[in-house]
Amino acid sequence: MTFRNDSKAMLARFLAVLAGALAIVACGGSSSTPTPTPTPVANTVTAEVNAGPANNSTNMLFVTVTVCLPGTTTCTDIPNVQVDTMSEGLRVLSTALGTLGSSLPTIQDSSSNVLQECIQFADTTYIWGPVATADVTMAGEKASSVPIQVISNPAAFDVPSSCLTLGNPGPQGNLNTVATLGANGIIGLGNFAQDCGGACTSASSNPPAQYFICPQNVCSVPAVPLNDQLWNPVALFAADNNGVMITMPAIDPGGQATASGSLIFGVGTQTDNALGSATLYATDTGGDIRSSYGGISYPAFFDTGSTGIYFLDYATLGITECTDTYGNPTGFYCPASPVNYTVTNTDGNGNGTTGSATFTIANADTLFSNGNSSFFAFNDLGGDSGSGPSSDSVDFGMPFFFGRTVYIGIEGTTVPNGVSAPNGYFAY
Amino acid sequence: MRTAMRVLVILILGVAPAWAVLGEYESSVSVDQQYLKGEIREQVRPGYKLHQITASNGTTVREYVSPDGKVFGVAWSGPFAPNMQQLLGSYFPELDQAARSQVRRRGGPLVVRTDKLVLVSAGHMRSFHGHAYVPSLLPNNVSAEVVR
Repeated sequence: MTFRNDSKAMLARFLAVLAGALAIVACGGSSSTPTPTPTPVANTVTAEVNAGPANNSTNMLFVTVTVCLPGTTTCTDIPNVQVDTMSEGLRVLSTALGTLGSSLPTIQDSSSNVLQECIQFADTTYIWGPVATADVTMAGEKASSVPIQVISNPAAFDVPSSCLTLGNPGPQGNLNTVATLGANGIIGLGNFAQDCGGACTSASSNPPAQYFICPQNVCSVPAVPLNDQLWNPVALFAADNNGVMITMPAIDPGGQATASGSLIFGVGTQTDNALGSATLYATDTGGDIRSSYGGISYPAFFDTGSTGIYFLDYATLGITECTDTYGNPTGFYCPASPVNYTVTNTDGNGNGTTGSATFTIANADTLFSNGNSSFFAFNDLGGDSGSGPSSDSVDFGMPFFFGRTVYIGIEGTTVPNGVSAPNGYFAY
Repeated sequence: MRTAMRVLVILILGVAPAWAVLGEYESSVSVDQQYLKGEIREQVRPGYKLHQITASNGTTVREYVSPDGKVFGVAWSGPFAPNMQQLLGSYFPELDQAARSQVRRRGGPLVVRTDKLVLVSAGHMRSFHGHAYVPSLLPNNVSAEVVR
């Protein structure tokens, strides 16, 4: 199946590549004049953890993203978009887009069916809505005609019924409102260029139930070319397009109301984003590295989209769980006093790179009550990742990012220090 | 009356396997195989049987069957999450119930531990893994840790 916006988006990208090629030719040809130093593009935006637009967000990292009608200066600034280093693509609530929400060109097949997406996260929450194209700008960086997801109001768009067979259809699963999302949108800036990749490009290979078309409200799963899938917008920037660097300040172990840092585009592309002495861990094909604790190796990753450090399980660690008034686990750890942990990380690409990572887990009930329950940034919030070693993992969530600089490299890009990382990397 | 009942029973039998799996009889495994359009392999392990279905999109689902023929556990891994409603069957509502106690937790794995169900849904975009089992259906002398 082909989609209508293909030719336009591809033309735009082709033109961007062509413009770059012409610029190189122009520089190379002028041998009698000194090679002009390219003016660095502004590559930094403020990234802040705070209460969020619904005043209920825990450890969510927010940036402002400018969304424009493709090729125009008709734009809207979207504040409070959550930075997620373990997903790809921009997803924005239609309510936050204002009038742009209905005017962005949707991606359609030859029968004018709008491409819809149901994206499911590991915690079984889901987001649904149509795919549209927009110009996405942050600082001086711009991704032109990039497919984004418009998170629907129920009244505005058809809901693919198959969407609800994947995620949790209960109230805890639905992230389609500002209250449940806790943000105006999510911007995925992870290791991959697209959110699905090759698996969604062929209908004969049983593609996952992620993209849909729904003629007469009967949904099916079409083949979706890479160009029509949601893209990590950084991968489409003209420069600084090989990854991101996130720098957050150290914060009080008791928590803070806000914490403000930086999201910097590119790795080793400008003077402000050098790798320096950071250790680079190449990821495996699924985006994981390995982390060892107590002699057992677990899958591990670095995720600003995770509110806590989700680390093994309470029984394996011998740590107390927090429970609510009904005695049900709240998903966090509640040790009597803070516990320090050190794990050994190993890259996921067989390079043999190893190093340690240290973090602290404190009592979540205490943290949430500190500051009259007005704190939203915590560097020592942790919880369980599984039910035993066979299902456990190490999710270095937002708490790990405070007091550190963490780099996320995109698959297939040039790695500044020459380490082999075809699937991308994490570095810190 | 009797005729009507018979028709009703057949209809239910015809529909029910589409929802079967965890806690259901082994015959439901073939329905999963059809749904996943995958290759199935069967192994006999000490104390239980394992059916492994590998879908063409790379996701593997493993189903653990007790000696009395019931699926006591399911596990999955691969680039895409499986259809949780289909795998968990009648245990699916436990998931939302447990999630209601975890309102400040977001973006990481989901861990559910109730008397009826233990479930872990973990990983991230492009790499999902997890398992679910029914503690009361675990065969004697079989550890829950085999469901992986």
